[in-house]
Amino acid sequence: MKKFLTKIILFFNNNYLAKPTFILALVVFLAAFILSHVKEITYPSILRQTEEKEKLALNLVLPGYHSLLKRRVEIEGKDFIFWEGEKKDLNKESKGYAFISFEPGYSGPVKSMVGFNDQGKILGIYILEQTETPGLGARCLEVASSQLFWTSFFKAKKKNLNHSRPWFQEQFKGLDLTKGIKILQKGDWNQSLRKELLQVNGITSLTGATITSKAVTKSLQAGFKVLKEKINLTIPAVQNLDNNFLEDDENINREREEE
Amino acid sequence: MNYLKEFTKGLWEKNPILVLSLGLCPTLAVTTSVTNALWMCLASTFVLVCSNVLVSIIKKYIPSHIRIPVFITIIASFVTVVELTLKAFQPNVYNSLGIFIPLIVVNCMILGRAEEFASKNNILVSIFDGLGMGIGFGLTLTILAFFRETLGANKLFGLTFIPGMRPVMAMILAPGAFITLGLMLWAMNSFKSRKKKGG
Repeated sequence: MKKFLTKIILFFNNNYLAKPTFILALVVFLAAFILSHVKEITYPSILRQTEEKEKLALNLVLPGYHSLLKRRVEIEGKDFIFWEGEKKDLNKESKGYAFISFEPGYSGPVKSMVGFNDQGKILGIYILEQTETPGLGARCLEVASSQLFWTSFFKAKKKNLNHSRPWFQEQFKGLDLTKGIKILQKGDWNQSLRKELLQVNGITSLTGATITSKAVTKSLQAGFKVLKEKINLTIPAVQNLDNNFLEDDENINREREEE
Repeated sequence: MNYLKEFTKGLWEKNPILVLSLGLCPTLAVTTSVTNALWMCLASTFVLVCSNVLVSIIKKYIPSHIRIPVFITIIASFVTVVELTLKAFQPNVYNSLGIFIPLIVVNCMILGRAEEFASKNNILVSIFDGLGMGIGFGLTLTILAFFRETLGANKLFGLTFIPGMRPVMAMILAPGAFITLGLMLWAMNSFKSRKKKGG
């Protein structure tokens, strides 16, 4: 036995491959062991983040709709996720739909969720993921803020709890998905542009980032086309979402009106 | 061993970006906003200090011809820890830094310090070296990002900087990064050469 052990030790000391191989394997094994634990710790948190984001987005793109039904269909090998909801408006039941769709933008896919009613009018969009250039395409997430750096720097104001949305996403409200969405260049959007843009069924693009604007409108129309074909089919439901969060939205809307 | 000297050399004398010219890729890419620069500084400094400590602990047991793969494994593990933590607790930061968090692995500043310093010195000095280098890296990033964000987007920390000013779009794009970094290198070199002449 002792002879055997000394043989092994000798082998390790003399062989130019055995020792480095053993050390490398040990280091990699330890690294993998630690990382698997870190992953396990952070995984529930990461999952919760994505779920919360989805809930928030649904809440914004289908305001006031209840009994949302998540569905999943496979199109050309890719998952296409959409939701169906109902709303009672003046004793009339109306249906609303939402879907997730993406198109390549300038530096990566721009993934957005869009909600529309049974007439094809957009109720709201929410950009879930984007990797566009900061200051150009990434301004699709920019909230028009008149707040100056200096005022917030010198006067430690209470955090402004406004629920204003990014203007680029806000301007999609009320557009008709059944017709083509035009992209105009009118500079930054503001409320006074709404009427003019609704008439031509268009949006004003982000300055210097027409590709991002195009990607969003393209993904909306592509997703709508897919959904229109699929909507008459019976598709098995995936899961039922709870509707607790809808009450919050009504509160937010009320606050907005008060402002 | 003078700890203070090891710390301050990263800030000025051996500034990783302006003097050693290491880690230029993240420097050019993430400096579009000051917030990004500060988070990048935090992430890089964390990885740098941790890898320096670990490398200086295990330096005796690593045969010299396989040291680089071992260092890379160590650095990559810490970067993955940072990546997962940010993804779980700071998703907005993770989204805005994007691919540049995983790319800290190939930041040659970190491997460079492990190879040049931590594998030859003890733990305590390695910590100071890592801190100094990380903060020096972060300071340079922040200054670069300050000029790019204020001139290129007229913003600071996402808030309007000067009302009514028209931003110069080129500054926020890649050319702006190269121009600003070039000017900073020029300033640094002229400072240093003037000091030499005077002395």
